[in-house]
Amino acid sequence: MKRGDVLRWVLIVTVTLYFAVPMLAMARFAFQVVPVALLTPDRIFEGWSVSGLVDALGEPAFHEAAKTSLLLAVFAGILNLSLLLPLAIAIELRAQHLKGLLTTITLLPWVIPPIALVVGVAATFRSIAPWFLASPYSLVPFYALWAMPFTYRALDAGLRSINAKTLYEAGRSLGASSRTILWRVLMPNLGASLIAASVLTGALVLGEYAFASLLLKNTLPTYLEVYQGGEPRAGMALALAVMLLTALMLWIVVRIMRRRGLDVSAAAGAV
Amino acid sequence: MASVTMTGVRKTFGSTVALERLDLEIESGELVCLLGPSGCGKTTALRVLAGFERPDAGQVHVGGSDITLVPTERRGFGMVFQEYSLFPNMTARANIEFGLKVQKVAPAERRSTLERLLTVTALTEHADKFPHQLSGGQKQRVALARALATQPRLLLLDEPLSALDAKVRESLRDEIRRVQREFGVTTVFVTHDQHEALAVADRVGVMSNGLLEQLDPPRILYTAPRTPFVTGFVGSVNRVGATAAGDGRYTVLGRTLPGIVAASSTGGGKAAVRPEQIALDRDPAGQARVLDASFLGPITRVRLRDEREGDVIADLMSADAADLVVDAVVRLRLRDDVESVVIL
Repeated sequence: MKRGDVLRWVLIVTVTLYFAVPMLAMARFAFQVVPVALLTPDRIFEGWSVSGLVDALGEPAFHEAAKTSLLLAVFAGILNLSLLLPLAIAIELRAQHLKGLLTTITLLPWVIPPIALVVGVAATFRSIAPWFLASPYSLVPFYALWAMPFTYRALDAGLRSINAKTLYEAGRSLGASSRTILWRVLMPNLGASLIAASVLTGALVLGEYAFASLLLKNTLPTYLEVYQGGEPRAGMALALAVMLLTALMLWIVVRIMRRRGLDVSAAAGAV
Repeated sequence: MASVTMTGVRKTFGSTVALERLDLEIESGELVCLLGPSGCGKTTALRVLAGFERPDAGQVHVGGSDITLVPTERRGFGMVFQEYSLFPNMTARANIEFGLKVQKVAPAERRSTLERLLTVTALTEHADKFPHQLSGGQKQRVALARALATQPRLLLLDEPLSALDAKVRESLRDEIRRVQREFGVTTVFVTHDQHEALAVADRVGVMSNGLLEQLDPPRILYTAPRTPFVTGFVGSVNRVGATAAGDGRYTVLGRTLPGIVAASSTGGGKAAVRPEQIALDRDPAGQARVLDASFLGPITRVRLRDEREGDVIADLMSADAADLVVDAVVRLRLRDDVESVVIL
């Protein structure tokens, strides 16, 4: 083996261990009912059980929190796309010189910490529309904003990879109206990007803790935190399950985009 | 089919002047190439014709009517782009039919148009393939068929061959010419490749810095360039000394013959002489020395250094250049069949 290869393998193994060891430890804690102090090599296969996870999945409060989070993900995705899709298309087709500005603006949500957003926005709404903050769905605009960097990049990469401007001009030269081009040409070819943008938003919302906690909302992550206080094993099992689900969603996105020949690293580069 | 007139068309982007003042007349059924280096304004001229750019000043008339402010989708032109512009979600067939469907052409007529175009462009067996299953040349043939399907009054080609490799480029170039003649459609073809322009066009318009320098048939453009820019841009050229001999005649390389003074002549006492207009005499008393000779098949390109004229290129029939070796001493003269020279 060459020196470069050795270095590469050392890196791969180190990184794998860095991620895998804590997860394996989590899994052991969640599914093996044997205290670490009593864990000897001959008892390594004893006491494994998924009853904790089954119990946790049966909790009505969990269903409630999961439903809230899923709906939040759907609403945030819809809000995000309905704002950013027309904007991204308009910029790509009509005002490419504004692209740099838009790219910077869409990064802002990551520069401003959640606490600043929440304090500012909450103070404003508390005085003008207190009812808005009472509903768990008051999180939708926050999440739409928070997911904007992902969504915009997925859409922008999609528009660039299909050469949207040329397709638009070709369509117009054939006599098609902007609306016809949008529905018959651009949207069908942006399908993969739209799915990617939605799933990324979903994955983000399912794991978001700061906004929900600061606004005292009961979503999946805040529920997990509270539940784990009382049921450490089951809570851990549930956390693992949510993590795997999110990873699966992201894997599906990558697969879809690869199959459509989209540049995954560019489209999902923000991840 | 329609004639095209652009009068005083000006277009700027910020502080960049893309078109200074373009006057262009194209006859019905004609194929005109706009030729020039990148940034000369040829693509802007085409985009103004297509309606993608609105000129700052000037008018565009097609078939006698002013279309300066008519939006692209109502102009009824066909266009082929440099980048492959086929709709990726549609088969070749659906791409070609797109414009017909938009115009709500009856299915029977649509099918007969489609069949004719597929036959003309030899795409019948590829009709149900998606763009990503087609080669570059096939994609541009579909694009050509798609642009012709709606029976455009004007066909606009924006560097349609630039993304293709050399061999495909040449065959598609001839195919475009054949199809254009068959349909008789007035065509504007933008390219930066002079060989492409000279081979395909009825007339070539050479552009530079937002101005049309000369618009003429390829042969005239080559033999009688009107400006120094055209002289240098189209074909290779040697600039050799010319002395006025009165009566519109000039002495060039020892021969006195009629001179065509270029429109923008600076009277600098130079003549433009093509490499193929030069002959070499084996003369030990000559003033030129062979630097090197490249064998190019039918011709051999010889680079020489002349004591008076500087570096000169001569293209000889290979049979006449067989004995030329490096450092051979020769004398330059104009070939006997040269009847006039262009005075710069």
